[in-house]
Amino acid sequence: MSIALQMTGINKSYSGVRVLIDVDFEVREGEIHALLGENGAGKTTLMNILGGVVAMDSGRIQLFGNDVTIQNTHEANQLGIAFIHQELNVVNDLMVYENLFLGRELRTSWGGLNTDEMRRRSTEVFKKMGVDIDPRAMMRSFDASHKQIVEIAKSILFDARLIIMDEPTSSLTRAETEKVFAIMKDLTKNHGATVIFISHKLGEVCEFCDRFTILRNGEKVASGDARLNDGACVNQVELAKLMVGHDALGTQHYEAREIGDPVLEVLGLDLPGKYNNISFTLHKGEILGFTGLLGDGKLALVHTLFGDMVARSGEVFLNGEKISITHPSLARKRGIGFLPPNRKENAIIKDMNVRENMTITTLRNYVRRLSLSKKRENDIATDYSKRIGIRMRKLSQPITTLSGGNQQKAVISKWLLAKPEIMILCNPTQGVDVGAKNEIYALITELANQGVSIIVTSDEAQEVMRICDRVIVMYHGVIQGELTHEEITEEAIMILSTGGVLAVG
Amino acid sequence: MNKVSSKLESIRRHKFFSEYSIILVAIAMVIIATILEGQTFLTGRNFINILRNNAIQGIIAFGMSFVIISGNIDLSVGSQLVIVGITCLSVLNATGSTILAILSALIMSVALSLLTGFIVTVGRVPSFIVTLGMQYFLRSIGIYIMDARGITGRVASYQQISNYMLFGWLPLPIIYFFVMLGISIYVARSTIIGRHIYAVGSNEKATRLSGINTNRVKMIAFAILGVTVAVAAIIESSRMNSINSTSSGQTYELNAIAMAVVGGIAMEGGRGKLIGTFFGIFILGIINNILTLVGMHVYLVNAVKGAIIILAVLLQRKSRD
Repeated sequence: MSIALQMTGINKSYSGVRVLIDVDFEVREGEIHALLGENGAGKTTLMNILGGVVAMDSGRIQLFGNDVTIQNTHEANQLGIAFIHQELNVVNDLMVYENLFLGRELRTSWGGLNTDEMRRRSTEVFKKMGVDIDPRAMMRSFDASHKQIVEIAKSILFDARLIIMDEPTSSLTRAETEKVFAIMKDLTKNHGATVIFISHKLGEVCEFCDRFTILRNGEKVASGDARLNDGACVNQVELAKLMVGHDALGTQHYEAREIGDPVLEVLGLDLPGKYNNISFTLHKGEILGFTGLLGDGKLALVHTLFGDMVARSGEVFLNGEKISITHPSLARKRGIGFLPPNRKENAIIKDMNVRENMTITTLRNYVRRLSLSKKRENDIATDYSKRIGIRMRKLSQPITTLSGGNQQKAVISKWLLAKPEIMILCNPTQGVDVGAKNEIYALITELANQGVSIIVTSDEAQEVMRICDRVIVMYHGVIQGELTHEEITEEAIMILSTGGVLAVG
Repeated sequence: MNKVSSKLESIRRHKFFSEYSIILVAIAMVIIATILEGQTFLTGRNFINILRNNAIQGIIAFGMSFVIISGNIDLSVGSQLVIVGITCLSVLNATGSTILAILSALIMSVALSLLTGFIVTVGRVPSFIVTLGMQYFLRSIGIYIMDARGITGRVASYQQISNYMLFGWLPLPIIYFFVMLGISIYVARSTIIGRHIYAVGSNEKATRLSGINTNRVKMIAFAILGVTVAVAAIIESSRMNSINSTSSGQTYELNAIAMAVVGGIAMEGGRGKLIGTFFGIFILGIINNILTLVGMHVYLVNAVKGAIIILAVLLQRKSRD
């Protein structure tokens, strides 16, 4: 079997931090190749280099036997590389065929749009892929998997020979995932395409992929066949160890701590279209995890608890008192803190410096007579940034110049300064490197030890296993099951989050 | 073209230029004018004239800066000034009390601004649209009430508010101007609401999720503008002892926006300093003066003004890295 892609000695640094170190990466023609690694392992950077999104510092790329240089996405496209990003690049207000030909529209000899030809070719591609999609349907009317299929169709349409998919399954249900992969398999076996599949879901490797490569902290640590000679799957525990590294596994200590009285009681909370009939209790000093696949309603639920959304019906009790929180400012006054998901969009005030981002929630504490006391503000921010270990040059540097992990720590400390009784953390280690990840876990655990009640939403089973006392698994807006720390396993979470039921005993 | 843009890029990249370009422009203009016509330009009387002529719109520019920093815009201040001025002079004529007149102006102006802010925040209509509508609405109401004429004050002492000369040479509006500047800088830099206004303009979602009532913050930004419009209306009505429903306040909104923007207040919100607005007012204020001194045709004055507005923003544009 010939080699489709050979990347040799790839190096890349971002502002002095080496994110890729002498990485070799080989993909054979006609295979589905899983590129595995934790968040921050360098998978996306490596693929961004291949897709022409970022430039490498040094290294060599051979594509189908030829040396190539890829300076931008356009050149990548011309070489037959298609990059399907995690957040799909579809325009919801256009029709399917308009999306397929966006930016590369066909014209008639008069200079107008050749819609007939575009539709005909769209239909042809869908037929080739064996899917039934009307080219004239509005993009908006499709679910995530069909949008993904349209994106794949786009790469086929423009003769991509190498298709890169960045965590395509993170937003798909189980059935949708199977559908997408059936199509991918057909493309590789019968139509000469090669697929690189970025993931950190181990379960999918054996099931859907031919071979795998694992990156850890910017280095390639392993590669091999997804199935052993006898057809058995490669050992997932081994893969996990390779991905996480022994050091990280070594710190995976969970210590049971004392759980206090109920602090927050939720009874029959309902928001049609988001979640239904949610009831649970959060105790003092407890870390309660919420997990499930995308679209499970957990984020809508915690946004409701913080007052950013309002439930249609149901009751919430805080320390036995019935409360109604209809705005985040009321939640703040009640002693509820909130670390939102998607830091850049929801948490970072980009025009402000580190100090101002840290103190924005608690400005009242720094008022002397009528004015903000810069000195008081500075003292407290300095104190907290040291305690939490925010690595920076100075408090007055723009928040956007910090690394992801340090930005996250600054956002968390914004709420720690408010001394919350309940802290809600959405995907606390999203876009954070491995080292900072461990620090954030330690910080969360320490908070719980101090008696703060904590709700953590997470998509990563390992994260939940590592810090949570209890985890609630959601599926399509309802609580599918609850696991105590002892009961938490990746399998149990997977079964519940895909709508399954755990066998009793 | 490429050469020009890369040159521009390298100028922008100097932090000094992007932060202080506006002050440099102001200094450069003063130097040019001094070299050309120093004897007329560099006189106390000339500067007093410049400040006096720009005090009213300058004060509005301070309030406008807060609204722009919060991520909004207000196109209705010129019409609002008319309504507030009419209210003020009507109360003055009816009661004979200057204090009541001033109070009524403040209440009317803040109420109108809060109404605007309410529609913008609770109604979720873009401020550009709301205030464009308000501009037509308020102007029309003013013209209707006044039957397209003006209103004149009948209390002589009221005129002293704008026309009294401190020490015999310093017009009071200049004092009001600097007092408003001082208060504005203080509010922007050293108060909670000031910080919140910057935060809302920079990232509204993140600010809301920091437990801050962002609608309230935006309404307060509008209310601050309302206060400055009231002050401007009082000065204007007292200076001429009248308000004309058709001509008063025309294009004040655009001038105030131009002053703020030339001074480095970012249209997308979240960035800019009030002291910058001061220099913006100063620069736009002396253009007329300088161009007259250098003998440029009066019809070309606005061409230069327009060019300066664009140039100032080009220089301040942060390089996209």
